[in-house]
Formats: sequence, C-alpha cells, structure tokens
Amino acid sequence: MKLGIPHFGNVSVSIKAIAQQLGATDSLIIPPPMTQKTLNLGVKYSPYEACLPYKLTLGSLIETCELGANTLAQARGSGICRLGYYAKNQEQILRDLGYSAKFLTIDISHNKLISVLRLIKNLANDASWYEISSAFFFGISKLFALDKIEKVVQEIRAVELEKGTANKIYHEAIRNIDEATKRKEVKDITKEYIERLNHVEKNNKAHPLKVGIVGEIYVVIEPFANMDIEEELGKLGVEVERTMTLSRWVKYSLFLNYLGADEWRKVHHLAKPYIDHDVGGDGWESVGEKILFAHKGFDGIVHLAPFTCMPEIVAQNVMPSTREDIPVLAVICDEQQGKQGLLTRLEAFVDLLEFRRRKNGRRIYNTR
Amino acid sequence: MSKVGIPRALLYYQYYPVWRSFFEHLGAEVVTSPPTNRTILTAGISRAVADTCLPVKVFLGHTMSLIGKCDYIFIPSMTSFGKKTYNCSKIIGLPNITRAVLPECPIILDPNIDLEKGRWYFYHQIYKLASRFTSNSVKMKKAIDVAWQKQLAYRKKMSDEKITSNQALFDLYGSSHSASSQKNPQGNLTIALLGHPYITNDEYLNHRIIYHLQNMGANVLTSEMAPQTAIDAAATRAVGETHWAFEPDIIGAGQYYTEMKVDGIITLSAFGCGPDSMMIVWVEHRAKETKTPFLPLSLDEHSSGGAMLTRLEAFLDMIKRKGTKLPTPTPAYC
Repeated sequence: MKLGIPHFGNVSVSIKAIAQQLGATDSLIIPPPMTQKTLNLGVKYSPYEACLPYKLTLGSLIETCELGANTLAQARGSGICRLGYYAKNQEQILRDLGYSAKFLTIDISHNKLISVLRLIKNLANDASWYEISSAFFFGISKLFALDKIEKVVQEIRAVELEKGTANKIYHEAIRNIDEATKRKEVKDITKEYIERLNHVEKNNKAHPLKVGIVGEIYVVIEPFANMDIEEELGKLGVEVERTMTLSRWVKYSLFLNYLGADEWRKVHHLAKPYIDHDVGGDGWESVGEKILFAHKGFDGIVHLAPFTCMPEIVAQNVMPSTREDIPVLAVICDEQQGKQGLLTRLEAFVDLLEFRRRKNGRRIYNTR
Repeated sequence: MSKVGIPRALLYYQYYPVWRSFFEHLGAEVVTSPPTNRTILTAGISRAVADTCLPVKVFLGHTMSLIGKCDYIFIPSMTSFGKKTYNCSKIIGLPNITRAVLPECPIILDPNIDLEKGRWYFYHQIYKLASRFTSNSVKMKKAIDVAWQKQLAYRKKMSDEKITSNQALFDLYGSSHSASSQKNPQGNLTIALLGHPYITNDEYLNHRIIYHLQNMGANVLTSEMAPQTAIDAAATRAVGETHWAFEPDIIGAGQYYTEMKVDGIITLSAFGCGPDSMMIVWVEHRAKETKTPFLPLSLDEHSSGGAMLTRLEAFLDMIKRKGTKLPTPTPAYC
C-alpha cells in the first residue's frame, strides 16, 4: 500500500513521524509542498463552483498519485458543509483521470478517533495497538510542538527589528522537528527554538495592534490558501492570534470531546444571541470568536473564507449585527486572488485600526 | 386574529400546504408575499452580503415585502429531515441571517426542525411554535395531523398528475399562484429539468424556462413529477449514503430520469450554490455514461432571458438532429 494524504498545514510532519515509528515509511507518500502547480491541477479538474479547499486538496492528491500513491486519505462526514462530499466526488474525478486509487475516509463528524486510528492501522500493516498508540502520540506531539512555536512566532513577527527573522527560525524549527526521532528530542528542539525566538532583536517600545483570525479551518490553517496572511500582517507590525489550530483540533475532537468537554462552549454561548444552533462548517464558531476577540480587547478581526463557502456566508451576513463593533476584514480566498490586491487591503485595514486606536484607546467590552 | 407571513421563496414550494394548513387550524391567518418581481429582487440584493446566493437574496426580498403586513413571519430552520442528511447551511441559518440583515422584521417564528436530534426534540419545537397561538393541545395535535395529511396529498398530487409545484398550488389555492406552463403538453421530446424546486418554480428567476421549453415542443419533467420513494431509491442507487436533503431532487431525479431514457437533461442552479456544485457533477457523469445530452445552466442576478433562450434552442436543435444523418460536408478546397 502507498498512502497519499492531501497537504494541510503541518499534518504531513506528524503523519511522517507516525509512519517512521511504525517502520512504514515506504508505504507513505508525503505530499510535495503546495505551489501554483498544485492549485492549477486542482482548478483544472474540479467543478468550477467548488470551493478552494476542494481544489487544493484535489490538486495535492493528484500530485501524490503522480508519485505513486494508490490509497488516498480524505475527510468525510455528515452535518458539515461540502466537505462531506469531497471523497465521493474526488474519487470519481481521479478515476476519470486514470488513477486507480482507493479512498480511505476519515469520518470527522462521528467516530473521529476510531477512523484516525484505523487509518494508521492500515498504514502500519497491522502493527499491535500498543505500537500504534505510542507512534500516534509521538506524531501528535510534533503537532503540539509546532503550534507552540508558531504562537511565539506570531508575537515576535510584529515586533522584530529585522522583518523575516522569526519566520526564518520557524521554518528551521519545522525542518528540525520533522527530523527528530524521539519525544525528548522534540521537547528539546521546541525549548531551544522558543528561546532563540525570544532573543530576536525587537522593538521593546512597540505596542503592536492585535488582530484575531477567524474563519473556515482549511484556509485559516494552510498558509498557501490564505497567501501567508499572518506573515504579511506581521510585516505590517500586527500581532496575530488564532484559536483554530491543528493541535487544538486533535486535543478536543479526538480526545477531550469524548470525555464530555465542549471545545467551543464559550464561543457558542457568546454567539447564541445571533446564531443559536450549528449551521455546519465553522460558521457558528466564526461569529462567536469575533465576539470573544472583541471581549479580549483585540483591535480587529480578519475573517477568512473560501469563495462560495456556505457556513461562512451565514457568518458574514450575521457578523455586522453583533453588539461588539470591532472592524472585520472579510477576505475571500479563491484561485483568482492576487497577492498585491490582498496587501493593499491589509495596509488599508491596518491604517484604519491604528486610527481607531488613536481615537478610542483600547476598548474592552464588559464580558458579562 | 394574528397574521403569519410566509415568504414565497426557498422551501415555500415544497412545504406551503403543510405550513398554511397548520397555521389555519391554529386559528391564524396566513399572508403570502406576491410572486417574485423586480422590486423584490433588488430589495433583497441591496441588503445581503454580495456572496450570498440568489435564492437567499430573493428570500430576503420577499420577507421585506411582508414587513408591516403581518404580526409574525414564519422562517423555520429546516436542519435535517432524516438520519445524517442535512440541509444547506444557508437554509439552516435562514432565521439568523434574516434577523441580522433585516432588524426591522416582525417577530420571526423559527422552529428548528432537526430530525437527527430525535422525535422528542421535534415535538418540543412544534409545541413551542403552536403554543403562541393556542394552549389547547388537542387542537395542536389535530392541526399537525391535518397538515401532515395535506402535505402527503400535495406530494402525491404532483407525482400522480405530473405537474409542477406551481400548478399544484394553483389547483389547491387558486388565483395568486399562477403558472405560465401548461399541464401535460404533448411534445415530441422529453426533457428532464433538474434543480431545486425554489428555482424551477420561481418564474421570475428562471425566465419561465418550462414555458419556453414547452413552446419549443418539449415535455418537461421535474423532480416533483416523480414519486418521492422512487427518487429516494434512485439517489441511494447512485451515491449510496445520502448526505444532503435535496440529493433526491437532483441526483435521485437525475438517476431516475436517465434510467427512463429521457431525450435530454437540463440542470438549473443558482451561481455559488454549494450543494449543487457537487451534485451536478454526478448528474453530468451519469449523463455522459448513458450518452444523454446534458445542459447545465446557472442563474444569477445578471442572467438574461434572451441568452437562455438561445442556449435552449441550440440544445433542443442538437437533440432533434441527433440520430439523423447529416450530409457529409464537402471540403472547402480540393
């Protein structure tokens, strides 16, 4: 078996680690990093009205198929947006293209943990459950480490004197963590890089603007899909925060939610006056997070959504009516977007935030 | 007597009889917005976020035309109609969108119809809705029973008589529901028109496509004209487990009509429709396999009737010429 996975944030780092631990590196094909070619492939073979995550994952899967993958992993589920349909549709498209790949689907609406473990079991040629679970924990420890470093990077980017230093260190950290083979090593690398990041020369007087990033999970997490929006905001001297990370998804969706924790309890509660039940995808969370960020005293919100994303359109319609009037920049991601256009909008948005801060000072909402 | 407004858009075409009879049995008066027109469309477009799809914009326009004419507006959140089948996010969040975009709207009645959550949740939602009008639970029960029978009869009427929702509503409620298309025309071609009932029946949005097709000598079959059980089964045959509530209407009807060997398939969707973007690919694939002529049409606020007519004519000409042998073209130069 040769398993191919679509590119999504740092998922490939963790899957690669799992395969290495189980001695199944040969049966895993790491997707090449996303480039314009990936997008072009995806756009060419997708239905024209499909959303950006569909096109990007399809492009990524075609690339892994070209590298010889014969089994592909993709998400599936009900009660969510189009995502539930991706696997069915992409399988047909790949078959028409002449790739005879089988799909292994991960059910992300119901039995999440079981289907993830089943995927690993398939990858590992029936290794014992003990080996699988230890490899799995090692794999996700890399995700947690990377997200921990990224959080520091998001802070440093805004205040570093020489722009781009934090980013360089972050990419080096990804490489090093990718190569680590023991949990201890991962821990040491994380510590080392956080230390290095904290020692980057920075402007200590700066009091950076804070912007929260909300929206659809794929375009929020995958930097290629949102044209490195976090990095660009960092260059403009803005500190970025996002709640949606892969490690959070793993932590809650795969473990804590089964134990009765509710990942989005507070966010849903805040969104209640405007949306009182799930609308699929991340629409409900986007509205709640906007309010949460406003309460935390953020200066603005960037709302990322793929073009024609149904849940995010609901969120976009509802957002202006919330009581907390915090500026929201809606960025619609699709294959037609150009980076310069985005940069101009970001600059204008940052100017607006600065002006607002000078005028109002920091406004903190009553959280009650 | 309190007045309940029902906007003539989206799920109206599928569920109007059940809603109307339910409210009438509870002693309320039902007010319906007029058929879609330019004013309604522009009003809707002016309020919603640009990316919102055309049917939702039209829905908002209809709701605006009801403001001031009723005490309540009925906008249910139709989440799920069965195990693991859900509606589009925009339909689930419809009361929320309306409340946010039209703050001047009267009280919105928004029961959450989510059969995935079980029977008791459903009963509770209906009870909450009905208790605004009466406290007599026997009356409520009776209203629900009568309404549901009405709905079943309505669905059966459409599939038995092979008529569209518009025609069935005209038969049931008369004048305000007129349809330009005729019943059971005797054309020499059979065309399946696949799309959501709220697009195939809204004659302003679809530029009277059924009427024009009939004028060109085609019998038009829509998803309402097939028995519900048949299209449900066809959808399961085509894709296995269904995922969306309208899958039978598009994929199911597509499968059903290709098996019936219709002469051509036309799909009608709104630009930016999420479910359609995935489902129409299936129908197209199926049409390719069975070599059925296929024409996908997409509507938005800028589409014009003239351009559509040209495409329909060309499509029907192509079907008519299919099979007849054309003379071999003489080379331009020898």
